[in-house]
Amino acid sequence: MTLRTSRRTALLGGLAAPFVSRLAVAQSGPIRLGTLTPQTGAGGPYGPAMVKVAQALVAEINAAGGVAGRRIELVNEDDETNPDAGVRAARKLIDVDKVSAIIGTWASAVTTAVAPLAWENKVMLFTVSGADSITRLPHQGYIIRTQPNTYLQSTTVGKYLASIGAKTVFALSAQTPFAVDSYNRIAEVLAQNGAKAVGDVIYDASKTSFRSEVDQALKTKPDALFLNSYTPDLAVILRELFRAGYDGKKLTYGYAANAKLLETVGADVAEGLISFAPSPDLGSPAYAKVKAILGSDPDPYSCQVHDHISLVALAIGKAGAATGLAIHDTVRGVGDAAGTKVTSAVDGLKLLAAGQKVNFEGASGPCKFTSAGDIEGCRFRFDVADKGKYRLLGLI
Amino acid sequence: MENYLLAMAVFAGCYALMALGLNLIFGLAGMINLGLVGFFAIGAYCSALLTVKLQVPLLLAWPAAILAASACGVGVALVTARLRGDYLAIVTLGFSEVIRLVASNEIWLTNGTDGISAIPAPGRGVLTPLLFNLQFMVIVWLAVGLAALLVARLSAAPFGRVLRAIREDDVIASVAGKPVLVFKLQAFAIGAGLMGAAGALYAHFNAYIAPDSFQPLVTIYVVLALTAGGTGTVRGAVLGAILVVALTEGTRFLGGVIPGLAPVQIAALREAIIGIVLILLLTYRPGGIIPERPRTHRLEVS
Repeated sequence: MTLRTSRRTALLGGLAAPFVSRLAVAQSGPIRLGTLTPQTGAGGPYGPAMVKVAQALVAEINAAGGVAGRRIELVNEDDETNPDAGVRAARKLIDVDKVSAIIGTWASAVTTAVAPLAWENKVMLFTVSGADSITRLPHQGYIIRTQPNTYLQSTTVGKYLASIGAKTVFALSAQTPFAVDSYNRIAEVLAQNGAKAVGDVIYDASKTSFRSEVDQALKTKPDALFLNSYTPDLAVILRELFRAGYDGKKLTYGYAANAKLLETVGADVAEGLISFAPSPDLGSPAYAKVKAILGSDPDPYSCQVHDHISLVALAIGKAGAATGLAIHDTVRGVGDAAGTKVTSAVDGLKLLAAGQKVNFEGASGPCKFTSAGDIEGCRFRFDVADKGKYRLLGLI
Repeated sequence: MENYLLAMAVFAGCYALMALGLNLIFGLAGMINLGLVGFFAIGAYCSALLTVKLQVPLLLAWPAAILAASACGVGVALVTARLRGDYLAIVTLGFSEVIRLVASNEIWLTNGTDGISAIPAPGRGVLTPLLFNLQFMVIVWLAVGLAALLVARLSAAPFGRVLRAIREDDVIASVAGKPVLVFKLQAFAIGAGLMGAAGALYAHFNAYIAPDSFQPLVTIYVVLALTAGGTGTVRGAVLGAILVVALTEGTRFLGGVIPGLAPVQIAALREAIIGIVLILLLTYRPGGIIPERPRTHRLEVS
């Protein structure tokens, strides 16, 4: 049979051509991903490092041939640590840049504000925010959180406090979305371990003096104080505790007990302050890579962004499609316990291309998620301020 | 892209409503109100709480939000009746911060800093995002149109004339027999009501509000919108609101135009550009893009 091209079929072919080529472009053009991190505002100290890691990782994946032959293109937006600005930036990422995943939302209020846009538009949202309420949103699986939630963190705090012999614990908490949840869970765990939470004061972090709060706490003569604070208010509270001659145990979050705090209050006032933080997997090659990219010890958020980008790349590699829906369906499958353990997206993509299963473990640890999108478990590090320096107490 | 532009048009509409409200209070009556984000928040929280917690229909919740903001406006105006200029500015700024702190601390009512999510809106999840945004854009700009008509009518009426007289010198206005306090209360009530309307629309469009959404930055943007557009004029208020949103959003696209800058540098550049444009605008057009024309009445000389 001979194939003859009539004028009519030629015309039809010509008409169809633009659509065919557009389809081809959509499958071979770049994969677009968005970062939405705080470059300005309260999260400003963290956002730039997060984007730097994302950019370096995307460059590495692209240099190794991209994902399924397609390059990744990164669009970076600033959420200004403000839900209003965050929503507008997310709308731009989704509607103008057509990204299939948004990576790195930091403040809980920003994540909560952006989340409905993500699930309504079938875009995956990877976040480092901690508020428990986030994964309780009706997100249909479109949120993945690598930051351990308040429940997991508070459980660890409660167990730790009991293990160091604190029988009574008082909490001073800055007003945050997780202050109440946090205290309740710690009280629960303490009670299970034969200790007791004796009270909680929630304060406004923008105040400049916390004398009445500190007095209220010390009246109960607690063995340990849990300071659920940020750096500026923690500095004031520590000074007031020092002045009051408090010599019990003090525990706070790692993000509050940073180098700035030691600089501000000095060695004597900070002495003995124990801080804990969800720890990246310090021995992992992925952690070493993030450290090399930043040129210094990375914070947990940068490590988590490393894992976000890797998870997205692997999910797209596994699905063979780059839509938000495809990532949504396959992202849990790249931490497959039956697969080969990999710590880099490039290695994982090669295995996936060869039809093998992968078990991705990132800079922040194993990437296994509950059905709600929460990370299943992670390690915590405890440090103590010792003569003006932080000394690692141990990993739990 | 269309979808994004429509969403930005909704935000611009909310700013325009607030700028129109401010035009009445500050532009016409001359009372500096730096607490407008407080009225915006009251409108947003009132409508959101009514619809989410009590399942009140939108058509009742929106007027309720306007009334609540209006009532607060009267309250603030009564408390500040004897204040002028800088003092009024500080007190109103304090008012909006109080509203924000109440919203973060009265957790039983407002859900604290977690905010209120899943605020309903007609057609959400049923219409495509494009149609939903289009529908909301029409609603918001209809409201802006109505508000502009209202403010223009009030401004041209004897009511507006008295407000301008109070702005120029309230002693003379009261000597002329005008009950100054009553006029100030009315201006505050209507202006705050418009801000409350903006808040209600914003809450239902965004589906989520939290105390962090109502920071003083919003006040600054709206005051800028009005001064850049032209204090005292209706068209100026609307144009200024569009300009501010166009500036803050348009600068997002810088990253694609200027290569070789880190995102943190682009973020800083954005803020610098927004600042410089507004400084230049107010240096070269101190009355705004559409300045208020002095209204003179020619006396008939017989």
